[in-house]
Amino acid sequence: MAKTVSPHAVSAILANPCPDSSSELPEIIVQVLDLKATGNKYMFMASDGKRKVRALLQSALASEVTSGNIQNLGLIRVLDYTLNDIPTKNEKFLIVSKCDAVSPALEAEYKAEVKVEGSGIDLKPNQAMDVDVKTESAGIVLKPNQEVMAKSAAQIVNDQHGNMAPAARMSMTRRVHPLASLNPYQGNWTIKVRVTGKGNMRTYRNARGEGCVFNVELTDEDGTQIQATMFNDAAKKFFDKFQMGKVYFISKGTLKLTNKQFKTVENDYEMTLNENSEVEEDNNEATFLPETKFSFTPIDELGPYVNGRELVDVIGVVQSVSPTMSIRRKSNNETIPKRDIVIADETKKTVVVSLWNDLAMSFGQELLDMADKSPVVAMKSLKVGEFQGVSLSALSKSIMVVDPDMPEAKKLRFWYDSEGKDTSLAAIGPSPSNRNGARSMYSDRVSLSHITSNPSLGEDKPAYFSIKAYISAIKPDQAMLYRACKTCSKKVTEAVGSGYWCEGCQKNEDGCSLRYIMAVKVSDASGEAFISVFNDQADKMIGCMADKLNEIKLHGGEASYQKKLKEATWVPHLFRVSVTTNEYNNEKRQRITARAVAPIDYATESKYLVEDMTKIKLSKNLLS
Amino acid sequence: MDTSNPAAFVNAELLRMYVGRRVRAVIQVLRNDGGSIFGKSTDEQELVVKGHPPNPPTTFVEVIGIADSNRSIQAEIWTNFGDNFDVSSYNTICQLANGDFKHLFI
Repeated sequence: MAKTVSPHAVSAILANPCPDSSSELPEIIVQVLDLKATGNKYMFMASDGKRKVRALLQSALASEVTSGNIQNLGLIRVLDYTLNDIPTKNEKFLIVSKCDAVSPALEAEYKAEVKVEGSGIDLKPNQAMDVDVKTESAGIVLKPNQEVMAKSAAQIVNDQHGNMAPAARMSMTRRVHPLASLNPYQGNWTIKVRVTGKGNMRTYRNARGEGCVFNVELTDEDGTQIQATMFNDAAKKFFDKFQMGKVYFISKGTLKLTNKQFKTVENDYEMTLNENSEVEEDNNEATFLPETKFSFTPIDELGPYVNGRELVDVIGVVQSVSPTMSIRRKSNNETIPKRDIVIADETKKTVVVSLWNDLAMSFGQELLDMADKSPVVAMKSLKVGEFQGVSLSALSKSIMVVDPDMPEAKKLRFWYDSEGKDTSLAAIGPSPSNRNGARSMYSDRVSLSHITSNPSLGEDKPAYFSIKAYISAIKPDQAMLYRACKTCSKKVTEAVGSGYWCEGCQKNEDGCSLRYIMAVKVSDASGEAFISVFNDQADKMIGCMADKLNEIKLHGGEASYQKKLKEATWVPHLFRVSVTTNEYNNEKRQRITARAVAPIDYATESKYLVEDMTKIKLSKNLLS
Repeated sequence: MDTSNPAAFVNAELLRMYVGRRVRAVIQVLRNDGGSIFGKSTDEQELVVKGHPPNPPTTFVEVIGIADSNRSIQAEIWTNFGDNFDVSSYNTICQLANGDFKHLFI
């Protein structure tokens, strides 16, 4: 006679609420817990070590209890029973009509060890019909191929899983939470997610030393996505564990708000996993690699994406593949292999795509070998840059498919074979403006609010933009001039005696020139900002040289000085500005500096506006 | 400001839609006859503008008046627009002002 609790006993009962006496019942041995008398009947919790169900001993069996055959913490074999619903509560109620006492009281409440690997089913003991549980199984039956080993509670605390709580408490953390419900303030969660993206392991060096990092994109059953990042030890630990397309149970990660600039998935939070985090593969879920979905942008429509955050997909015929080049990364002097390939599409335009690291080596070599066959290549998630007008660059998450089996590829192949390979193809260039000065004023045109609303612009290196704005205010009582060295224009200090000392030239000068350095307030339709303006630009804006303005201030009187400044106000200009972010006392301060200023050329400006309007109209049409 | 009779921005192609109504157009002066001007509209077609042209007219002139046929305007107001004028932008204005954005103008 078995003297242990039958595994899955409660589930067997729950699955078969009304057994008829003729059917074969499996052996059902449960432990009696919380045995208490209610009137002339006894109520208890029937436990199989994993699940519990409220139970009642029929009055006929009450004598077994009083005689001591059936004891609390003892084992009984249930021979006949009925399972009822409690109408008011979402609970089941077991009425035991016939049973045998199998064992007297055990030492303690029996708890089955639950094999953590792959058993992510909700173990809420009392609620048999738990609607929230997102599991594949149709009902509450435990998956048949899972072994529940009879181990005592003490043995459950296993080195392999660190300080994982014993089964009863584990039932809380094992409940699978939807990704959408995660937040930094609730740490007790487990998620069940599929790896839908895996980046490369990157190494970095910062003030604290060297490190390595990689991230994965995780998607849960609802479709919510989140990015998880791992550093150093955690990165090494989990890099091989995470495989594309496989499903994992993850817990003990930390959440924080994402840095909007680098956001890759739609989620306000991003996750970090450390060495204490738990990642268990769900062996019951099939590996599912969703078919790569492409949304191609024709080459001649890449312009609007230049320097933007949005990634593009392209498809084109390979025109040429460059040999591998070595680029030295400035930040850590690492050398990275690179290859440039040129692709063309039916818009009769070509564009350069830069491949890096592994992509440059392996994939690039593949392309080089078949370059003479002019293969069609589809690329997903490329960054659009402004090198030579428009350029594309691969990222670690970019996906490349050669000669893909899709209608766009067939169309492209047909076009190329019939006319493409003979037509002259032009490289896609920058915006239509021809004049050199005007070109820089029209590239990266943004509104002032674009700059002021993004405090992390220009954090590592300065970001450049063009803006069209009106000078809205020049404060008359600011220090707008400085004494400058006639030779090198750097600031000079009054030397001992007479003359001025120039730090840059390392010598004394007799005279000095006055140069502008002023803060000017500018406004456009979106907002306003303060811009630092240096001599040459200020010259153009005020309309007179610094020393002349000084003359007016000293000898002309306050009124004419202010008038001169007022005359410069509300004049529109085109500015080329650089934006940097510095930290002052833990606060980020954005600093906008004018690099060039130009008057508005109304004809070109009108053309630019018309283009803008067309773009808005086009994107509106695409959306609707 | 009298907004009772707005003048529609036209080029040669749009002029025919406004025959008998008030229009404005920028014309490049080709021939000046004293009583009328033969000019080129912003969409490269020839138009006749009758009235009292300014003396001397600059290369580009804006005229506001009544369109009396699909090729001529009886101008009441003449304005010299100078010698530098971006014709294509003006043409685009005419198209937008009578197309998508008509509600902003008329």
